[in-house]
Amino acid sequence: MPQAQSLAAADAVLIAAWQGGDEQAAAELVRRHARALARFLAAAGAPEADLDDLVQETFIRAFRAVARFRGQCQFRTWLLTIGGNVLKDAARRFQQVRVVPLDDELRSRDGDPHETAVAGEVEGRLREMLERLPHMQREVFLLRAQQGLEYEEIAAALGTSPGAARVHYHHAVRRLKESLQ
Amino acid sequence: MNMDEELQDARLRELARLLGAGAAERLDVERAAQAVVTRLRERPRVTLRGWVWMQPAWLKIAAALVLVLGAGFVTRVLLRERLPAAAVVLPLGEDLTDLTADQLRETVGALEQTFADESPGALDAGLESLNTIELRALLRTLES
Repeated sequence: MPQAQSLAAADAVLIAAWQGGDEQAAAELVRRHARALARFLAAAGAPEADLDDLVQETFIRAFRAVARFRGQCQFRTWLLTIGGNVLKDAARRFQQVRVVPLDDELRSRDGDPHETAVAGEVEGRLREMLERLPHMQREVFLLRAQQGLEYEEIAAALGTSPGAARVHYHHAVRRLKESLQ
Repeated sequence: MNMDEELQDARLRELARLLGAGAAERLDVERAAQAVVTRLRERPRVTLRGWVWMQPAWLKIAAALVLVLGAGFVTRVLLRERLPAAAVVLPLGEDLTDLTADQLRETVGALEQTFADESPGALDAGLESLNTIELRALLRTLES
């Protein structure tokens, strides 16, 4: 993965610069990873109205704790796991039933309106089921299926073994498939 | 894994990739970057209060437990120092009839010691000369 390596190297330079007091390095790290983080948080159940705040809070926590990041995984993966914790804390505060809007892609997707509606319904159910999954299963599933990460990378970020990450993923997939049938 | 399952897996991954994509696209990244920098500048790096509240829940519970147990231990030690020993161990009340003469002497002796500490000379009479009935009577008097 030469591209991932070069991204990691660039992140490492920016992190070192931020640790040296360069605020623009922090801003650049936000620019590089904010969308991926937002996608992860939204899929994990973050209400869109709170997405901006959750993204900011995640970066703040990450920058505060950056001394603990020792390159055990990619910065983005580490950031996503922090995002998962921020969302978990926020979920206690939300404690509300919410209506999840369909994503624009699904709304504006060309083709049969019936198919589009079915796709939207399936996505809504998937999102609901994801929210019901145990924290670890949800994180592993999203890191693997949405972010396309390897089990080794996921395990390093979550402080578990690749085998355990694989088991969490398969449990999540089994439960999600059951809900979608 | 059969073909159907593979298709289901592929569909699931496809759906997962789509989840949240719209919301992420609508995020104003530049605004978020500037807001993060501003907040980093405004909030002090590490405060004691912040450090305490960032600890995991189990650590807070453990710390609270240590405080409660410590306070309980100190209170117990202080109470023990204040209470006279006799107040804790004397078998006064309805059990007097079960005691032998020696046990009664021992009990009265302990009481005598307690009272002597508080008012020297209160019980000067020798206990050796008293019989069991007299000792019981004396104990009941002391008890009341």
